[in-house]
Amino acid sequence: MWVVGAPPLTEVSEDTRLVSAARDGDRTAFGLLYRRYARVVHGILLTRVPPGEVDDLVQDVFLLAMGRLHTLRDEAAFGGWLATIARNRAMDYYRRSPPHEELTDAVADAAARDDRSEAEALEALAAIRSLPDAYRETLLLRLVEGLTGPEIAARTGLTHGSVRVNLSRGMQMLRDKLESRNQKSEENL
Amino acid sequence: MSDYLWDKSGEPDPEVERLELMLARFRHNRPVPDFPERLGFWDRVRAAWPVRPVGPVGFVRPGMQQWSLPRFAAVAAVALLTLGAWLFVRQPSVVGPQSPALPALPASPSWNVARAAGEPTIGARRMGETGRLAVGQTLETDAVSRAVINAGPVGEIGEVHVDPGTRVRLVESRSARYRLALDRGTIHAMIWAPPGKFVVDTPSAVAVDLGCAYTLQVDDTGAGLLRVTFGWVGFTLKGRESLIPEGALCATRPGVGPGTPYFEDASPAFKAALGQLDFGRLTPGSPGSRAAALETVLTNARQRDALTLWHLLTAPDASERAEVYRRLAALVPPPQGVTRAGVLSGDKHMRDLWWNALGLGDTSWWRLWERQARDFGLESGD
Repeated sequence: MWVVGAPPLTEVSEDTRLVSAARDGDRTAFGLLYRRYARVVHGILLTRVPPGEVDDLVQDVFLLAMGRLHTLRDEAAFGGWLATIARNRAMDYYRRSPPHEELTDAVADAAARDDRSEAEALEALAAIRSLPDAYRETLLLRLVEGLTGPEIAARTGLTHGSVRVNLSRGMQMLRDKLESRNQKSEENL
Repeated sequence: MSDYLWDKSGEPDPEVERLELMLARFRHNRPVPDFPERLGFWDRVRAAWPVRPVGPVGFVRPGMQQWSLPRFAAVAAVALLTLGAWLFVRQPSVVGPQSPALPALPASPSWNVARAAGEPTIGARRMGETGRLAVGQTLETDAVSRAVINAGPVGEIGEVHVDPGTRVRLVESRSARYRLALDRGTIHAMIWAPPGKFVVDTPSAVAVDLGCAYTLQVDDTGAGLLRVTFGWVGFTLKGRESLIPEGALCATRPGVGPGTPYFEDASPAFKAALGQLDFGRLTPGSPGSRAAALETVLTNARQRDALTLWHLLTAPDASERAEVYRRLAALVPPPQGVTRAGVLSGDKHMRDLWWNALGLGDTSWWRLWERQARDFGLESGD
């Protein structure tokens, strides 16, 4: 769900200033935008591409954004605009890449290495990624990237209400999925 | 929802805390990269064209050095003719009164187009490596040519890839309203403008971008198929409307409008029966036809197909709505505040509440969609 909300005015005006300066070639301003938004871009990509590819793609997204900054008419919409570039970049990744390692393969590898905590973490990540699109991004930004609900709203352009709904329903679905997986693995023992 | 899940305040939720600790290993932890001080011209060109094998619009023409002599001669001839015509027009009249100065033509908005293969045409003219598609003009590809439209006056709203055998027109290009018409063929649109600013007319429905990537096909009869690969698209015509999420498709037929959206991985029986319901010449009263098709759809519906069933809740026939309600309630129980009587009588608020329970986002989408449809002068079903 990517409905434009109303981020706090201070963040918007700060973004506006930074985007405007970055557009004029101010590297420090763009670096500050990176600091503010890197976790959002990272989280969005992590819902879609293999974890090992995400860091490089984050950099790609910011370089793309830097090149296209002159086309952004509303500086206050930077967060939503950047999120769209990240989603499109993830889609391009699959269009261009050869077959890649699935997350389930990585879980199996970790299990084979007897790395229980790695396997568990990968399973939890896979469970989040299997949630409906509307929930997985928000939940991943909260649980993996460590952003709070208000921060997610401010940086993605979602309303507080939408973030609340996504977190609440997404968390419930995630609990159900993890519980059902645990039951299955207990039955298999 | 706990305060801890919302803003990390209050008593930590043990399950949330455990997941946070476990998943922290995937968190972003890279320092700020060394970004270039100022992007140069070519950096911007490259950045704007991250994935395409085609030349960047309007800047480079890698095929220049490979031009054949006849092609060069043809271009030179056109240039000479143009120069001659220009000199002729500029020549002052030697008889009669001085002609009044012609008013300057308004600059028509136009979009950059890059040739990707073959020889696409803009208007009646074959385009070179690049061209401009002005409002009112048509871009056409033959059986072997392809092109990429950089959507928006400076390419700021997205990319539209035009497949062979396609005819597409630029209908409108002004702030917050960008409109193409796909007469026939296939386009792949990837739009990064804010949702609802970009629409594509087809002979049998209008596709409204809601922040997405999608493929739209129209055949020679005007029938169409929209496949959403990312985000959402609204599809509408004369009060019939469908909201199509990533992974779903929606067909459309001339004289009918958009059908019911469905997920690509639905069973073949489900899809075939849905096609019959949407576009078949079936009547509610004819047993073994429409009723059978509906029965097939309902029997084969998985939880994920609630998307389709939810759309069918507005079926014109009351008995059909009742059957759909029964099956949808079994797949996704109606949330508090939603009653059978209310839904069957067309209570929009109740349908909205139910939609919110489908896991496809909340009805803010619909509100946005309705606003955008009104802005574009499209009719909305609600």
